[in-house]
Parts: sequence; structure tokens; C-alpha cells
Amino acid sequence: MSTANPPRRDTEIRQPQLGPLGWARWVWRNLTSMRTALFLLLLLSVAAVPGSVFPQRSIDAGRVADYLAANPTVGPWLDRFGFFEVYQSPWFSAVYLLLVISLIGCIIPRTKLHWHALRSRPPRAPRHLERLGTCATAEYAGPPDAALTAAREALRRKRFRVFSHDESSVSAEVGFLRETGNLLFHVAICVVIVGVAVGHLFGWRGDVIVTEGETFASVFSQYDTFDTGVMVDPSVLPPFTIRLDKLDVRFEREVGGAQFGAPRGFTAYTTAVERPGQAPQERIVTVNEPLTLGGADIFLLGNGYSPVVTVRDAAGKVIYQQATPFLAQDNLYKSVGAIKVPSAAPKQLGFSGFFLPTAEPTFVNGPESVFPDLDSPELALSVWEGNLFPGGRPQSVYTLNTAELAPVPRADGKPLAIRLKPGQSYDLPGGRGSISFDGVSRFAGFSVRTDPGKGLTLAAALATLTGLIASLLVRRRRVFVRVEPAPEGDRSAGSTTLVTIGALAKSADPGLAAFVSDLAAQLGTSPTLVAAATRTERT
Amino acid sequence: MPLLVTASATPELANWSNLALYSAMAVYTIAMLLFAAHLAALGPDTEADAAAARAGADDLGDDLADDRADERADALVGAVAGSGAAGRTGGIGSGDGAAGPVRSTLPAADGPRVGSSAADEGSRGSLRARKLGSTGMSMTWLASVLLLASVVLRGLSVARAPWGNMFEFATAGATVAAFAYLLLARRYRWEWLGIFVVGPILLTLGTALLAFYTEAAELMPALKSVWLVIHVTVAILAVGLFIVAFGLGVAYLLKVRRDAAEVGTRSRRLAFLDSLPSATRLERSAYGLNMVGFILWTFTLVAGAIWAQKAWGSYWTWDPKEVWTFVVWVVYAAYMHARATAGWEPRKAMWIAIAAFATVIVNFAIVNVFFVGQHSYSGL
Ligand code: HEM
Repeated sequence: MSTANPPRRDTEIRQPQLGPLGWARWVWRNLTSMRTALFLLLLLSVAAVPGSVFPQRSIDAGRVADYLAANPTVGPWLDRFGFFEVYQSPWFSAVYLLLVISLIGCIIPRTKLHWHALRSRPPRAPRHLERLGTCATAEYAGPPDAALTAAREALRRKRFRVFSHDESSVSAEVGFLRETGNLLFHVAICVVIVGVAVGHLFGWRGDVIVTEGETFASVFSQYDTFDTGVMVDPSVLPPFTIRLDKLDVRFEREVGGAQFGAPRGFTAYTTAVERPGQAPQERIVTVNEPLTLGGADIFLLGNGYSPVVTVRDAAGKVIYQQATPFLAQDNLYKSVGAIKVPSAAPKQLGFSGFFLPTAEPTFVNGPESVFPDLDSPELALSVWEGNLFPGGRPQSVYTLNTAELAPVPRADGKPLAIRLKPGQSYDLPGGRGSISFDGVSRFAGFSVRTDPGKGLTLAAALATLTGLIASLLVRRRRVFVRVEPAPEGDRSAGSTTLVTIGALAKSADPGLAAFVSDLAAQLGTSPTLVAAATRTERT
Repeated sequence: MPLLVTASATPELANWSNLALYSAMAVYTIAMLLFAAHLAALGPDTEADAAAARAGADDLGDDLADDRADERADALVGAVAGSGAAGRTGGIGSGDGAAGPVRSTLPAADGPRVGSSAADEGSRGSLRARKLGSTGMSMTWLASVLLLASVVLRGLSVARAPWGNMFEFATAGATVAAFAYLLLARRYRWEWLGIFVVGPILLTLGTALLAFYTEAAELMPALKSVWLVIHVTVAILAVGLFIVAFGLGVAYLLKVRRDAAEVGTRSRRLAFLDSLPSATRLERSAYGLNMVGFILWTFTLVAGAIWAQKAWGSYWTWDPKEVWTFVVWVVYAAYMHARATAGWEPRKAMWIAIAAFATVIVNFAIVNVFFVGQHSYSGL
């Protein structure tokens, strides 16, 4: 195991009194120690967990609202401590910011050290090579300088950096890539964070629902929802338009059980104009295959049904005719929506309720859909009248605000509920006109996004991987070779040389002994392993 | 990939696949019993025997065998890196004519490579223990081939990579763990590890059948991507390695505890631990596997983010599955740090590795089923 803390020069703290500078140093040194990094990593993993347990506003604000409604005592406290926005919360940010500071504090001195190590020579060979962890000897048939040259070449071939401090020894090092890779890994993690930040500051996303036959023009006001980084000017979005010609969907019909009705394919056929004045192009958007227009990526993220509804007044004049999107509530596409007819007289009319692509006919459990495709579509609506827009405040297009609305009663006084199949119409009581269900179109939910940081993030992520592989798999070794003329008695056949090889590894390196004995075998005859790092005694 | 989009399931093949799975489980059960008997036979009968086993020639055999194991581990790691790590491979491959006679004079380093298999087999208990162990291995091979057949048949029946829901991930992951173990066991003589690996595999398969079973069917649209193959394959490989490393880690922790205990107070039932490789070697092997697993998991994380960018338009949304993939990664990173930190005992570091493995289990068995997110592919 290695000593992982880079050596630091300011090792003594003056015990009696730490001035402000001393304290700053003390804090800094602790913050940038491996132990702290380890602790912060464990803390980060713990801090990330609540975000997977509690609903998060950034993912699904509706579920957060439901949770708060269901847990009126604990909910607000959790909210106060940021449990519904974990990854923006002060405590989560604190952990990762400390980690980043620690990381930078780690990288800088290590980079300096490594830079010097890269340019310095391997150290002088120690006097007693056999005291190194791993050592072997061999007899070279030739004079010492030839032996040394042979050793040098053998080491160079194995990509060692080789240097001789004197006439009788060679020092060699290999595996700087290990530390280089490790530094690359840690630096690249910082760059990933920078890339994420760039995306948050300079990126934007807008979501929009487009029904078949409709055209969407990318202007800020046309998006249903729009989220943007602080550095983005929403008045200069790429000016493309996209028309949804047709949406193809396919659901599982053959396999039963939980898979029955699971989605199998969504394909949006569109006609896109990248910039005003350019020729329209037919383009396909599917899940996993976004479309890029004017630098923005357009993803097909949702789909559903827009029943086409016509409302007439008592005289038969059309006062509302529109494909109105209803939002799916479950996997079987039971969908909710609202039809708002402000021009109805004498009072404004509102319809709210469900669209069921394949209605369960009895309604024993209320309106339910039993299959997501259009096998037996039906609308189930309640009817309201009064003021649709109390106070003129903005409201959801999918629900009615019933604060100033009253249900329209049936003849017997109970609230009116109507069920319509395509082609059917219903005459509202009391000369309020009629409503007809003309047919169903599909809609596509497009999400338009830009993230100028994603290229940087990707490059950095790949660099992390490269660095990690080098850092973990490259071995750092130091090898010393010393030569001396063999003892007199052995010089039967000309001059021979005694070669001693010693080696050190930075971390546990079980292959070192084999490496050294191979080198010994390559350099001379009767090689003998004097000491192996993993086992010192010999048999 | 039009093939993926239009093909629908072939139920007969799926039935054959299930049959192969049941058979595999039956054979694994036999293998597990054999491995249990093997361990029981490994444990020396008396403390005196235990002492004898630890001393003398047996120990040498152990060390030689493990030296060889470590070398092989290096070669393995070098191959993964794709860049012969600092001359290691050169060293192994340099067997030219002159080396032959030379080697015999290098007992410590070269002896094992020349091959003293008799010596290392001698170190692994009685003849009976050896027979039980090797029959257990054969059964494990048989079961694993059946399991592989089950996965392949499932793939054929749905005409796609057979890892699109939890049942399929679980069986594929178990298959990887089984073959990783079998190949490693062949090199390192890890019969004793069998129960630590086959046990979890059986547990995984049983859970997959009882809790996660999903009819063979086409994928949902978000999963129809080459990234399914890339991301999930690597994730499954990583988990397979983590499982084997976990088995080694548990064996290591048991062994350290036993080594620290007074000889007289040691449990007879765990006597087999005395015949295992030394604690240091167990720790090192676990580290090696965790390390390769960690690299693969890093890749999984990156590939998952790339896929999320393609499928959902954002490479990171803190979806519960993403959160836990990240948590797994961070805890394994903490383990790597702990192991590299001077002054941290390897034993403590190993506990972090065990915790990291627990997060792998949570990520699979709990997050997929109980947490609401975009990763709704459990098929349940
Ligand atoms: C952002 C979170 C971090 C992650 C994910 C991370 C991950 C890693 C990994 C995977 C290794 C390789 C372990 C090995 O060589 O066995 C490593 C090594 C290392 N890390 Fe970090 N690290 C992080 C932060 C830090 C910080 C803050 C420091 C500084 C205190 C640091 C200092 C080191 C050092 C010195 C090594 C080399 C250990 C050695 O091989 O001797 N790391 N890190």
C-alpha cells in the first residue's frame, strides 16, 4: 500500500499558538487530506439518497404537492430542509463544493510534484540492492561496461526511463502514466462539474404539446413550459417551425399479464422548417432519435389524445371547435382535460372530465380505460357554467377553476354528466346549446432543449475513464542494476561480470519478482533471485 | 434497427428458455451442496492438523499457487488495459531458448510457471475434499451452460438482447458471475469460493423467477437503442465481478477474524478457512476484481448518461435510478480511496466494499421496483 498523501513541506505546526494563517493552513491541510476526501465521498453518497426517496420538484412538482397534501405535519418540515429539491439544497451543495475544493487542493500540489518527478532523473542506485524488496543476481559473460550497456538496452526496450549516476550502475523508472492518469482522472471530474454548470447557465428547455395537423413555431410565448439558465435571452430562440403530420403508436397486444398494453413504438412524422424562408423538410422524430433544428434538439417525450369537440349555441352557431389535448394519467391513458368556452351566453361554459381511449363500458369504478389504444374511445364530462377565469389569473388548460362556476343541473336537479362516443352529440338542458364529439387526433409532447455544456461534459467524462484506466492498471516501478567484476575464481572463460538487479514498486506489485528474474535471465547465466517482495525467505 | 422494432416474441422458445433455467437451478443446488461438503472436508479435523496445515510444505505450495494466481491476475488486468502494463507482458512472453535451463535455478519466481500443479493441489485438503470440490466445479459448469442456454433462448425468442427487464437482467447478471467465477476458479483453484458465488447466484435466480418474472415480449420504445446493449451489458459485467469480489471479501473478513482469534477458541465449522489462501491474497484478489468492476461501472455511468441524453433529452436528471448508479459509483470510489489511504487498514476498506455491494443490491432490487422514475423497465 502506498503513502498516498503527497509530502508537504510545511509539516510542523507550531503547537502553542496558531495565528490566523496557521489556522487557515490547518483547515486547508485537513480539507485536502485523503481521509477528508474519503469522508466527503461517503457523505456525498448518503446525501444523494433522499433525492431518490422523496419526490423532487425538478422532476415532478405534482407528486411533491400530493406528498405535502398527504403529510401535512412532516411535509412542510421536509420542504424547509430542502428534501424536495435535494440537488439544489444548501447541504447537498455544501458537500460537493467541499469535495471540489478538497479535490483542487489535492490536484495542485500533486501536479507540481508529478511535474518535477517527470523531469527529474531516477535516483542513484542504493548501495545494498539486496535490501530492496526484490533483488536478483546473474553472471554476464563479458566485461562490466558491456553488461551495463546490455542492462540499459533491456530496460529501454521495456520503456523504462534510464540514467547512470556512475560507471557501475543504472537507475531506471517506468510507469509515470499511473500518476498522470490519476491526475487526469481527478482534473476531469472537476471539468465534468464545469460542463454541468455551463449547461445550467447557458442551456434552456421548452416543452410543447402539438396535435396532429398543427404547426408549432418556436417562439418563447408558444411553449407550454419554459426553463432557462440565467445567461439565456429567451427572445432569441432558434426560429424553426415544426408541423406534426402524423403520430404512429403501437402497444403490446399479444403478450398478456403486466406487459399487456405496454408501449412498443412511437413515431412522429413531421414537416420542419429550420429558418423562415427555407424549404420545408419531412423529418421523423422517435424516442431515442431526436431531431436537431437550429442548434436545438427536439425530443419526442410524450403523447396522448386530443378529442375534437364542437360546441354550438342555442341557434346552432359554432362557438368552439378544437382538438383539445387531454393528459394521460396512467399507463392505460385514462386522460383528463377541460374544454373552456368563454364565448357561450348567457354564462360562460366549461366542460371537464375524462377521455378514455378504450372505455370500460360499465363505469362501475368510475371512468376507466382498459387499453391505451383507440379501440373504443369515449368522453365523460361534467358541465359547468359561470366565470371561467376568476380574477383573470393564469390557470392550467387541463383543469377548470371552479371557484366561480356552478355545475349545470339535469332536469331532476342532479349534476349533469355526459358520455359521448365519436360522432355523438348532446343537447344541453335549458337552451344552453349542444356539444358534439367529432373524432380523436393524437398529440405529441415535444421537448426542445439546448445544452452548450454537454460536449465539454462528455469529453471530460471520457477523459475520466481514460485516466482511471491508466491510474489503476499501469504499474509504477523503479529498477536498479549494479555491475562488478566477478570474483577471480570464476574467470575461467574470459571476463565475466556479476550483475545485481534490485527493484521497488509504488504499490503492491506481485509481478515484480517475476519481472526481475526475467531481466536477470535475459542478462546472464545462473540468475538467482535473492529476495522477492512478497516472500523474503528462500527455500 | 428495424429487426428490433418489428419482431415479436416466439413463446415456444421462451418456454424452452424457462425449462433450461429450472434445470440450471436444480444443478446449481447440487453444486452448492457439493461445495458445502467440500468446505466441510477442507476443515482439518483437529487443531493439531490445522497447525500442521499452516506450517511447512503446504504453506509453500499455497504461496506458489498464489504467486501464479497473482501473475495471471496481472496478465488479465493488462489485457483489459489494452496496453501491456509497463513491461509485465513482455516479461511473461520472453521464453526464448536460453530461458529453459535458466529457469530451473529460479525456484521462487519461475517454479510455479513451470508448473508444480501437484504441489498446489496437495495444499487443498484431502483427496475426498478435492473430489468433492472438482465434482462441484463440474456441476457448476453444467449448470452455467444450462443458464447460458436459457439466456440465449430467451434472446432468440424475443429477437433482441435478452436484458430488457429485471428478470432478464437478473438471469444475465447471474450468468456473467457464474462464468467469471468458473474461469477465475480454473486458474486460481478457487473451489473453496464456490459456495460464496453459487449461493448468491441461486438466490438471484430464485428471486428473478418468483418476484421479477416477466413474459417474453418486445421492448418499450425507450429501450430500443444500441445503448441498451452497450450500457446494460457493461453494467451486467460489472455486477458479475462485484458479486465474485463480494464473495472473496466475505471470505477475507471471516479469515481475518479467525486469524485474530485465539487458536483454541476458533469455530470448528469455519475450519475450512485455514486452508484458504492467506488473508493478504484474498484481499488483493477482491481488490483486483472490485477495481476492474469499478472501471466498468464508471463506463456504465458514462454510457447511461449518453443514452439518457438521446432518449430523454438530458444526460442527468437525478432520476432515482441515476441517483443510485451514482451512489454505487461514489461508494466504490470511496473504497478505492480507503484502500489507497496510508493508515487505513485493508479490513476497514473491505467493509466499505461490502457496503458498496449493498448499494448495488439496493440499486437493482429496490430502486427498480419501488421507486418512481423514468426508468420504468422492471417489466412488473
Ligand atoms: C470527486 C471525488 C473523487 C473521486 C470520485 C475520486 C476517485 C479516485 C479513484 C477512483 C482513485 C484511484 C484509487 C487507486 O489508485 O487505488 C483515486 C485516487 C486518488 N485520489 Fe481521488 N477521488 C476523488 C477526490 C479526491 C480528492 C478530493 C482527493 C484529495 C484529497 C483525492 C486524492 C486522491 C489520491 C492522492 C489518489 C491516489 C491514491 C494512490 O493511488 O496512491 N481524490 N481517486
